[in-house]
Parts: sequence; structure tokens; C-alpha cells
Amino acid sequence: MWLQFFYAFASTAGFCLIFNVPRRHMLSASTVGALGWIAFQYALALGHGNIAACFLGSCVVALLSDICSRIFKDATTLFIIPGILPLVPGAGMYNTMLAFLNNNFTKMTQIGSETILMAGAIAVALLVVASLIKVIVTIKRGIFQFYKEHKNVITKLSKR
Amino acid sequence: MINQVQKKILILALFAGEIMLKSGAEIYRVEDTVTRICKACNIPYAEVFATTTGIFVSVDEGSAHSDMHTFLKRIRNSNIDLEKISKINEFSRTFTTTSLSIDEGFEHLKEINRSSQFSFLWRVLGAGMIASFFTLMLGGSFMDFIGSFFIGIITYFATILFEHLELNLFIKDFCSCALVAFFALIFVGMGLGHHTHLMIIGSIMIFLPGVSITNAVRDSLSGDLLSGLTRAMEAILVAVAIAAGVGFILKIFGAFGGVY
Repeated sequence: MWLQFFYAFASTAGFCLIFNVPRRHMLSASTVGALGWIAFQYALALGHGNIAACFLGSCVVALLSDICSRIFKDATTLFIIPGILPLVPGAGMYNTMLAFLNNNFTKMTQIGSETILMAGAIAVALLVVASLIKVIVTIKRGIFQFYKEHKNVITKLSKR
Repeated sequence: MINQVQKKILILALFAGEIMLKSGAEIYRVEDTVTRICKACNIPYAEVFATTTGIFVSVDEGSAHSDMHTFLKRIRNSNIDLEKISKINEFSRTFTTTSLSIDEGFEHLKEINRSSQFSFLWRVLGAGMIASFFTLMLGGSFMDFIGSFFIGIITYFATILFEHLELNLFIKDFCSCALVAFFALIFVGMGLGHHTHLMIIGSIMIFLPGVSITNAVRDSLSGDLLSGLTRAMEAILVAVAIAAGVGFILKIFGAFGGVY
């Protein structure tokens, strides 16, 4: 697992170099990518399918990216783009193509649909996490607003 | 009539939007930045519509005898550069909060547009790292590691060359991935690596449309369905191009009696 972490860290760092991630964010962006990959591997080891594992990994990446973007006060894209790339199903795509070359259409549809669903799982995971965060932030802001408006009432009630 | 100051503001805002779009920012971020810059310069009515291929900005001074003006900027060949997005984010924050003059702002933007953090060699090294470590992640051996490192470097050089030749998206990825398969077969033939499949999978990771998928979702989520669809289409097209490029070379190799 540690070795996998290191490999994922190094390859995400490679993506950071290609996409010109600012130097001060490179370490955190690489860690986000590596942790996403570890979550993917962990879900696979627990016996889940490729698609569920991909979903979990992308959820971890999206969540950690949002946390990082709030800590470092920078755009979320900076962390999501390099972090999500190890999870993109390149192997599935290649195997689909290989089955197609061998005229093995049953295998092709099988792996191909799994690959498409994996890409879909990444998309859905990003969507779910982003929406959840939006909801949580809105609720938090609403509570603060409520507290500000009814400060006097609340303090009176607590005194009583 | 539109006066010279307003024109300058517009060009400034459009330039900032253009750099962001070219570097692969989400649509809502671009629209937000352009609107902020216009609002900071006391233009009360500013409406922006951005897609992945162009920005429209419409402004009105607000007084009774003023006209409405629309500006349009066409965006071509983008390449991902996350540092520029970060820098322009910072720029828009400083521009709206401090009293930076328009000319100074323009100088800032030009500086950002020119700058590139990592030199060419660093990026080539990055491509090599991606290819080699992915091969290891998927279970390759040490020889595969070295072989795919060189494949990554060579194909990244080739991609830069294709970009200078201004080939279109499909052909560019087709050629790059054909090169990946070609060199993987050659290296395995020479004994530099044992697993052809793993080396190819690791090396095509550089070209996979992960950015398009991510941005497609984020655009659709914020309501820019047009750009979301465009980017999803781009992702599918690139994926097909990659598969076709690798498959083409493997098929030729098989036709000459090779076993892959």
C-alpha cells in the first residue's frame, strides 16, 4: 500500500508539472491524488467492483480538494484536475480496444460498458460532493444569519 | 457614445477572460471574473456570456444618452495551465479591492500571460514521470519503468511538435498515441521492458481526457450546459482518437506477424 501511495504521488506530481500547478500547491495536490488512488485500491481490496471503487476514489479527491481550496484560498480546479487523473480508466479503454481488435465483441461490450460507467462514476462523484458542499455551506450560512438576527432573543432565553 | 476609458476597461476584462478560458478554467469562474472587473470600474450594466470557444461581453454606461456595446472574443487552441488561473484569481481580487489603474492592470495581465513557471524540460520530465510511475502502479517491472519513461519523454516532445504544426485535436492525439504504441513495441523488441500492454496503458495516461471530464461536470453543475456538452463531446472524441491510434499500430504489427 505504501509503495502504491508513493507511485500515485509521483505520477500526480508529474501531472502537476505538465499542467503548471503553482509550486506552493504541488505537495498538497499530489497528496490529494495519491489519497484518491489509495481509496480506489482500498475499495478494490474490500471486494467492491471497479465502478464503486472509482466512485469512492473520486469522492475522496473532490472532498479533499474542496478542503484544500478552503485552506489555501485558491481555486478548487487546481487540486481536482491533477487529483482525478489517476482514476480515469485508461486500462479499461485500452482493453476495450484490444478486444475490438481481436474481434471479441462480447468482451468488448463488457469491458467497454464498465469503462464508460467508470467515467460516469467519476462525474457523478464530483457532482454529488460539489452539491453536498454547496448545501452544507448554505445551511451553515443560514444558521449564522439566524443567530445574528435573533441574538437578543437567544441570550434572553438562555438567561432565563 | 462609449468613451476611451470604458473601452480600455473592456479590453482589460476580455483579456483576463481570454487567458482564463485558454488555461482551462470553468465557465462560471470566467464570467464571474469579467463581471467583477467591469463592476470594479463603475460600469453598472455588464453582462457576460462565455463558452469554451468564445466570450461575449455586453456593457452599458447607464446614462440616458449612452449606447449599448457588445464585444466578442474568439478563443482558439487552449492548453491547460493551472498557474495562470490561480494568478488571475489573485489579480481580480487585488484589482477589485485596491485602486489599481487600468494601465497597471494591463501590465499585470501581460506579465501573467507571458509567465511560465516550469521550463520546457521540467514538463518533459513530468510526462516521463507520469508514464513510468503509472506502469509501476499497474504492476510493471523495473525495466518497464525505464522503457515507459523514455516513451513518455519522446511522445511529449512529439505532441509539442504537433501543436506547433497546428494539427487538429483528433489527429494530434491519434498520432501521439500511435507513436506510444510504436515505441512500446520497439522497446519490448529491444528488451527494454517486458509488458507491452502495461507500458502502453501507462504512457497513454498523458493524453487521457481527464480534464475534459472534470470540467464538463463542473460546467454542467453550474448551469452552463452548452459548455458542459462541448467538453463531454471533446472527451469522447479524444478517447476514440487514442484508441484508434494505438489500435492502428497494433493491427499493423499483427498483420506483419507480430504477437502483442
